[in-house]
Amino acid sequence: MARTGRISSRTDVVLFAVCVFLSLLAMVLPLRLREPVASALRRSLVAPLLQLQEGSERWRAAYLSSQREELKRDTLALAAARVPTLENENDRLRKLLGLGSALKWGFIPAEALQGRGRAEDFTITLSAGANAGVRERSLVVAPEGIVGLVQTVDPTLSLAILFAHPDFRVSAMSADGSAFGIVQPHVTGTGAQRDPAFLRSERYLLEMRGVPFRATLKPGAVVYSSGLGGIYPKGIPVGVVMGEIKTTEAWARTYILRPAVNPAELSAVMILTPQRAAAGLTNVWAGVGAVDSATRSIVLAGDSLARQAAAAEAAARRAALDSAARLLRDSLGRDTSAAAAAVPAPVTPARPAPTPDSAAAARARARRDSIQRERARADSLARQIPGAPATPRPTTTPEPVR
Amino acid sequence: MNWSATIRTVLLCGILILLHYTLRPLLAWRASADFLIIALLLASVRVRPGVAALFGFILGLASDSVALGAFGAGALAMTLIGFGWSRLKAVFFADHVLLNGFFLFLGKWAYEILMNLVERRLHGAELLMQILVWSSLSAAVTAVAGVIALMLLRPVLETRAA
Repeated sequence: MARTGRISSRTDVVLFAVCVFLSLLAMVLPLRLREPVASALRRSLVAPLLQLQEGSERWRAAYLSSQREELKRDTLALAAARVPTLENENDRLRKLLGLGSALKWGFIPAEALQGRGRAEDFTITLSAGANAGVRERSLVVAPEGIVGLVQTVDPTLSLAILFAHPDFRVSAMSADGSAFGIVQPHVTGTGAQRDPAFLRSERYLLEMRGVPFRATLKPGAVVYSSGLGGIYPKGIPVGVVMGEIKTTEAWARTYILRPAVNPAELSAVMILTPQRAAAGLTNVWAGVGAVDSATRSIVLAGDSLARQAAAAEAAARRAALDSAARLLRDSLGRDTSAAAAAVPAPVTPARPAPTPDSAAAARARARRDSIQRERARADSLARQIPGAPATPRPTTTPEPVR
Repeated sequence: MNWSATIRTVLLCGILILLHYTLRPLLAWRASADFLIIALLLASVRVRPGVAALFGFILGLASDSVALGAFGAGALAMTLIGFGWSRLKAVFFADHVLLNGFFLFLGKWAYEILMNLVERRLHGAELLMQILVWSSLSAAVTAVAGVIALMLLRPVLETRAA
């Protein structure tokens, strides 16, 4: 027993020594001898395992590729989601450029940083201050119209009150100058009769008070600053009339205005220097509209050209279809004309030209004639083909002339 | 070792070798589990030292055939580990999951150290970094994978009472 164990142990050691020797031999073999051995192993023993490994690598590559595709799709979706925001921003910046070119001088562009606190509802922080030339009581405008007034100026920042601030007042007038009044924030909840339920949800509304009773403003009319009072120059859009509200003031009318500028969408504004405001702003906003529309028309020019090309192509296609249909009708007409020649054509009584008052009668006559023609055609076909069943006559009877 | 045990061991080693060439490339971790070492260590404690050395030699040579830079190094390392582990099984063998995990860690780490020393590719701080960080990390992952494989393949490994 012990002998068997010793022999086994000796065999193990020999086997181990042989393996170690062969390993060392493999290590010290020159490359030209080593490579055939490795190659034989790769082609025989390791080949199926390497195929398995290759399959796994391919799976992994496919998985990574699908992940990359998914990432690309997500990126595209994200980019597509950002497009409307970018378009809006682009539109606003284009309008601001239009305002800048209309103002020509005396303005300071600034970012409007809106606070989200309750106390910051009526104020905005502007990213330009005294260093940029902003002064107290400088006018803040946007491409759409009036925004507010600078109240506090720091070297790099300034604070402005919005038109929704309770202290805001501006003298305003209609576009034709027929109605004047004072525009101020519409403070809801102060009285039931001047506080319709549908307006409760509307923030930032304005009201134009003190409009003479004889002057009326229609909904949709634009109201501009009148220049009276000395702070706001004439011609800045303030808002659009939404409707009249009833007040206790019997000698004057009060109108609710939708402000020209939506503070929630305010991102970039222009601060006017006092000199620029004093120089007047008449026709600036008309110019802004013109520049904006010109830019839009340039942008849309490409679209309209494409539309024109598409319309021309559609017209050509329609013309081709019409000519084909006409050819088909003509050939059919030639086939049936021989049949129709065998039958005397129904005598159509001469009719006077239809007059506007006898249009209904003319329509009825035309219908009667067409029915008669149809009957004659059916009879002629029945005579030409004796075995053919007679075409049933239309049972429609002409309507009596009313 | 009877025929049944031999077949089970061969089956277990076959599964582990298949895992080495399928799961490992699929995961593609830097410190990945070495299923060949797991197969070698699990087989070494079930066969005679000479057979374990031969098995290690064949496994090592097979893995060396696709790594021309160190042809023979893997065979030498696996031969030493297989023979040594088979010799030491009487001292260390215990059917405990954590102990098996520890043995697997030691075996893989020893293999990595041997390979790094025999290959002589890295030197100095790089070699130290490789042995202490990446080799030990790879050994730990191998140990975890080995323990999981042992737990999953326990029905195959269990010997029936006579």
